[in-house]
Amino acid sequence: MSFLAPLFMLGALAIAAPIVYHLIRRTTRERTVFSSLMFLGPTPPRLTHRSRLEHWLLLLLRCLALGLLALGFARPFFRRTAPNEAATGQAKRIVVLVDASASMRRTGLWADARERVAEVLRRAGPADQVAVFTFGRQVRSVVGFEEWKAALPDARPALASQRLAALAPGWDGTHLGNALIRAAEALSDADTEAKTPPGPREIVLVGDLQAGSALDSLQAYDWPKGIALRIEALKAHNLTNAGLQLVADSPDADQRAAATVRVRVSNAADSTREQFRVGWLRADGADFAGPAVDAYVPPGQSRVMAVPVPTNAAGLQRIALRGDDEDFDNTVYVMPPEKQSLSVVYYGADAPEDSHQPLFFLQRALPDNPRLSVKASVHAPSAGLSPVERQQARLFFVTEALEAGPAAELREQLLGGKTVVFAPRSASAAATLGQLLGTAGVAVEDVQPKSYAMLSEIDFQHPLFAPFADPRYSDFTKIHVWKYRRIAAAAVPGARVIAKFDSGDPALLEIPVGKGRVLALMTGWNPEDSQLAVSSKFVPLLYEMLEYGAGLSSQAAQVSVGDPIAVPTVDAAGGTVAVRRPDGTTTTLAAGAANFTDTLQPGIYQLNVGSRTVSVAVNLDAAESRTSPLPPDQLERYGAPGAEPVRDAAREARREALMQGTEAESRQKLWRWFLGATMAVLLIESALAGWTARRQATNVTAGGISP
Amino acid sequence: MIASPSSPGLAAAALIDPKALMGIRNLELRARVVVEGFWKGLHRSPYHGFSVEFTEYRQYTPGDDPRYLDWRVFARSDRYFIKKFEDETNLRCHLLVDQSRSMGYGSAGVTKAQYAATLAATLAYFLHLQGDAVGLLTFDEQVREYLPARHRTGHLRQLMLSLEKPAGGRATDLTAPIERITGLVRKRGLVAYLSDFLAPIERLEPGLTALTAAGHEVTVFQVLDPAELTLNLEQAAMFEDVESARTIYIDPVQARKEYIPRIEAHCAAVRATCQRLGISYHRISTDQPLELALFEFVQGRQRRGRLGRPGATNRS
Repeated sequence: MSFLAPLFMLGALAIAAPIVYHLIRRTTRERTVFSSLMFLGPTPPRLTHRSRLEHWLLLLLRCLALGLLALGFARPFFRRTAPNEAATGQAKRIVVLVDASASMRRTGLWADARERVAEVLRRAGPADQVAVFTFGRQVRSVVGFEEWKAALPDARPALASQRLAALAPGWDGTHLGNALIRAAEALSDADTEAKTPPGPREIVLVGDLQAGSALDSLQAYDWPKGIALRIEALKAHNLTNAGLQLVADSPDADQRAAATVRVRVSNAADSTREQFRVGWLRADGADFAGPAVDAYVPPGQSRVMAVPVPTNAAGLQRIALRGDDEDFDNTVYVMPPEKQSLSVVYYGADAPEDSHQPLFFLQRALPDNPRLSVKASVHAPSAGLSPVERQQARLFFVTEALEAGPAAELREQLLGGKTVVFAPRSASAAATLGQLLGTAGVAVEDVQPKSYAMLSEIDFQHPLFAPFADPRYSDFTKIHVWKYRRIAAAAVPGARVIAKFDSGDPALLEIPVGKGRVLALMTGWNPEDSQLAVSSKFVPLLYEMLEYGAGLSSQAAQVSVGDPIAVPTVDAAGGTVAVRRPDGTTTTLAAGAANFTDTLQPGIYQLNVGSRTVSVAVNLDAAESRTSPLPPDQLERYGAPGAEPVRDAAREARREALMQGTEAESRQKLWRWFLGATMAVLLIESALAGWTARRQATNVTAGGISP
Repeated sequence: MIASPSSPGLAAAALIDPKALMGIRNLELRARVVVEGFWKGLHRSPYHGFSVEFTEYRQYTPGDDPRYLDWRVFARSDRYFIKKFEDETNLRCHLLVDQSRSMGYGSAGVTKAQYAATLAATLAYFLHLQGDAVGLLTFDEQVREYLPARHRTGHLRQLMLSLEKPAGGRATDLTAPIERITGLVRKRGLVAYLSDFLAPIERLEPGLTALTAAGHEVTVFQVLDPAELTLNLEQAAMFEDVESARTIYIDPVQARKEYIPRIEAHCAAVRATCQRLGISYHRISTDQPLELALFEFVQGRQRRGRLGRPGATNRS
């Protein structure tokens, strides 16, 4: 017999009470009336001698009642070999997910992780199937289910441990959400393949569980039932960790600011230090190249500071942070940005200085800045393109009806992959649209709404409007449209309506033409047509058009480890791209590859495109610097099952036993019997006590009368 | 102390156990049983023929009443003698019966109050038979009942009824009844005082002194329960004082060693006081037959009569 609450057995110690009571019973029970106490003094209670212990049977019954009560409260149960015991012996599928992100480069963490994995593998039974994955940004299989099965049972843990020993943490971010989904899918797939009813399935997560883990993907994921999550959290040896990230310069920064680089120093919440130094590192990496900047960052906070570029900056590529315990995120690679130049052509008859005309606003919306120079050339509707423009111009704005010659020329450009923004100032330009699209005629008519029209039903999935998808920026209703042109979208083949007016008429359409496209804006941005040009949306929208239509690469985006590097457009068709990695190795990209994805380490990547060499700095994911531990319930909040850190096999076994015991106890309910027995004993005791008392009373009376 | 049943004069067989006697509910009947038993026993006693009549001869001195000259003596001896008689017809006996709550204690089926009442009734009956006037005063902390000493038809019954009334008082206060009796009874007489005298001696003494000072012949019956004398209780318990309701824990086995000397000392003190004041003192335990008490009383009276103690008055 086992007990669920053995501590209640201590209640059996109360048995001492009746024994003592039986010994000193005479002290308190009686109340005797006496004529006078003038000759009496109080006497201390006295234990009657052991030999005078009275009423053995009563004492026994009372002790028995107390003992039974204590037993009942201790919740006894018979431990039986439950039928589901066999089920627990059923083969278990375990996926061990090992964090191999950059934050695992911290002192001792990787060794701890390997040790923890080895322990998990040792605990796995011979029938269990285990797969070991590492994850950072990507999930990589170290040992699959099949490999595990194929290996000899004794050699399995060693196999996985050896494989893991050969690995080292990478430089990428912690995409924990993705990894968990991948692991859960692997478990589900294994079940599907095995065509057996799913047994116990478990994901064991070994990692530092840093706050910078990306969990967003879990939000949309429906966690499969029956997959348990166990967390083997690793504890950092050094608490202090400050990170360094590059902060993008604002494009309109003044020229003097170019002599500094802005960096953000962020300190982890559990850091013990707050004084750091930041400066440019010499090429050999030994020391700061110039004067370093002192940074005071309290734990859990971040500071942005400008690091001045030394005068002899040639060859300097790194800014480093000193004074931190953990080194992995203390370097950022900086490349001076390359100034992009872009050529656009504006077809229209308006004077550049006329503030009522579209051109006026267009020219002011595209100023020169250190990163980008837009060269806009203005053409009359009748003028043709120069050979240079034909080659270099990537975006064309058409606001007036074109003559046949330029229209045909433009269509040629369109077919070659260029983009035309068609914003007619009147319905009369409909013919030009027809010419550009190569269709006979597109019906366009002028519409003058009663008061004004607004933009509604905007497709924020479209790249043009994607940056406005955030609810903070998605309000376009403040832009009033006084006049617009109505076009029947259904009549235009392949047209995609990106935005509509509140009347339901299309406001912006994307119409593919050959390799290129026409973006048909059915109202002008000039004040006569709408308030678009004076709204805050105009310039961002224009830049989106440049990015989308003219292939302007986004300057703001920094490249993190694992992010693809966009390969610069190769003008000479068929050219290969050679990439030189930071560690000196080179690789050649296949022809036509748009991106270089193999950015596994931070540093300067050099892409040799034809005669050009483009250097791209790849840095650590900023989130990796947030090394303070994830809040314990964070995973649950994202829909993962109740993850509880399990460290101790013995404790686990105890918990299991307790659960089984609770179940058995609730099934057997032995306490009822004990309680019943207690009641029965008490009844007998009462009857016996009553009988004894009566007999005593009779004896006293009889003895009193007798002489 | 009253003699044990084996004492000469009263055969043990004639004595009635107090517990059995208390089985008789009528107090008068009880008294009659005792007195009759006493008479029977008395006939076997060597002290037969007691009287309160004649005491002594005294030589005539001028001024004496010539009516009381014994002419027969004069005829024989030619001298004048005056014949002195006990004042038998005018004997007034007052029974002072304590009915305080402490008297309600009884460990062996008979309470001290019951015993004292029966004893008082017995004495009253006995004296009534002799033609003496008997009065009654019952008291606790104050006087409960007072019947003046009379000898008339129905008086005895009234006295019995008064004695039969249950005791209701809480404490014992001797001063009030003594003051009352000394105030009411101007004529000297016999006072039989029945109580347990379980009060400090300094509180008892003034009352007794006052009684003797008033010229009364006082007989004290200290009625005690056997348990009070020996503390022969088995069970340790919370003991409650019936009068003060004070409660203390007492284990009789342990307490006995100290208790017995104390109560004996108290009784000795009461006895010494009585002796000093010329009071006849009788300690009675409620398990002793009542006849013995009566016998003691009569014997004491007889001795006193011979000694010519106060109460023997000239008939003149």
